[in-house]
Amino acid sequence: MHSIRVVLRQLKIAAACVCSAAFFVVDVGAAQPSEPQITDAQPADAQVDVAVKRSGTEWLFKMNQSIQQRNYQISMVVHRPNLDAVPYLWRHGVFDDGVTMEQLNSLNGPGKEFIRVNKTISVFEPDVAPYSVTGELIDGPIPNQLLSDPLSLQTAYEFIAVGRGRVSGRAAQQIRIVSRDNTRFSYQLWVDENNGMPLKFNMLDGNGQLIKQVQVTQMVMSEKPDPFFARINHDVLPPVSAMSRTQHQHQWRITYMPTGMREVKRNTHRLHITGQVVEYAMLTDGLVEVSVYVMPVTNNHQNSIFRHETKTLLMRTDGDIQVSVIGEIPPQTANKIAMSLASRVR
Amino acid sequence: MVSMYGPVKEESFMTQQQENLSAFTDGELNEGHGDLVNALKQDEQLQQKWQRYHLIRDGLRGELGQSTGFDVAASIAAAIEDEPAIVAPKRTWQDLPVVSTVVPLFKQSGQYLVAASVAAALILGVQNYNQPSDSEPFMTATPISGPQGNLTPVSLEQTRSVQRNDMAELLEQRKMINALIADHQRQLQMKQSHQFDKEERVEQKDVQQPPQQP
Repeated sequence: MHSIRVVLRQLKIAAACVCSAAFFVVDVGAAQPSEPQITDAQPADAQVDVAVKRSGTEWLFKMNQSIQQRNYQISMVVHRPNLDAVPYLWRHGVFDDGVTMEQLNSLNGPGKEFIRVNKTISVFEPDVAPYSVTGELIDGPIPNQLLSDPLSLQTAYEFIAVGRGRVSGRAAQQIRIVSRDNTRFSYQLWVDENNGMPLKFNMLDGNGQLIKQVQVTQMVMSEKPDPFFARINHDVLPPVSAMSRTQHQHQWRITYMPTGMREVKRNTHRLHITGQVVEYAMLTDGLVEVSVYVMPVTNNHQNSIFRHETKTLLMRTDGDIQVSVIGEIPPQTANKIAMSLASRVR
Repeated sequence: MVSMYGPVKEESFMTQQQENLSAFTDGELNEGHGDLVNALKQDEQLQQKWQRYHLIRDGLRGELGQSTGFDVAASIAAAIEDEPAIVAPKRTWQDLPVVSTVVPLFKQSGQYLVAASVAAALILGVQNYNQPSDSEPFMTATPISGPQGNLTPVSLEQTRSVQRNDMAELLEQRKMINALIADHQRQLQMKQSHQFDKEERVEQKDVQQPPQQP
């Protein structure tokens, strides 16, 4: 038994080395690559907190507070089975005048960058003219609403505090996030016990298989906002385009939605690739979005179901219309939604 | 249990051991590992508790598979003993056909160009074959545009094999899948505002209404 624990300890050390190697690549200037690169400017508040047992909801609330009120720079890696890992850099700064700024940068390939100033999020990506949208937080690898407003997810999900663990070299609390009606994928979140920051986020399918993982590899908490934010030229940020919010009426409605899910968008538009006109509705529960497409049958596709990264794509032919459902949900749930379409009673 | 302790003492010793075991399972036992492990080795009751604690912990952490039976070791032993049958693997989400990354539009149109040019070449070939030959100047009768001898006229339909039809359909479906996935991703990006709605929205009157759901 003793020897097993020794081996485990060695494994942990090995894992820590792998970790440090990973962030060493990201941050070449790291001074001590063998030490976990997590620094905390305010460790004083930590000692008080640790003794208190918190519920899952309380941990999420603490995370929410830290994310919105602290200055930090985080490197993280998103991994999906059989796909390349994607590294991100995430910074946040709170200024004395109350202005908050946030940056999220995808580090591999042509890159994509988001910059938020208060509630305006500007998006810079190749081949698309920069544009701005409004939002509380940038929608990054960890679902935005989980970070910005976790309590609003409680109608759809349950937060269960599981216990302590060690992630990224830090003492962490594990929280399970499970849908109340068990119709969606479940999540595991590790929150830093001392400063409440997210350290690791797993997405699991119905059999407990990992389908997506976000792992923090480096975290720097600082007193002052990162100097990067001072270099942003606010004049070149694109303005938010004013948009009408007219909702379209269609001849169909969705009669089944998982608990806590609601319709947030409905319109009629053209698919860019095929030019086909589709009737469209978006559902969300705050953690995942589901797209529902209704269009006339073009050729006789059979009912089929596919997987694209973490998304399920289901196509169902019903008479002469085709219903397609796409989203990060189990196929059974996608099918239930597709089957539930009914004509709207006028 | 050796009756070194009195009955009362033994009971309290047991609860103490249980507490230690619980802490051990949670990784929170700081001292006395050795004693506990020794006790575990000897005490079957404690062993069963150890097993249950781990099962409970795994359950809480969500690390159990969906179909974990309670006494796994025993059930596996039993299964090995009396069932040599081959168990078909359960179909899971992981087994769904995977659609690889969305192919950019230009790459795809490239594929279509190739396919279209093959079809065009076929049609040309057919026409050339059926053309009256100009190299025979002394032909008296005009060539009939019908069956010539034992040559059946070759139509485009006949040159397309069944396989080609399937392929076209597959390509069509693939294109549709890509279009839907790309559109879903676009919609996600725009979810925070109604960016692009204006340019994208189709006037209701232009839209051919899909037939009503029965």
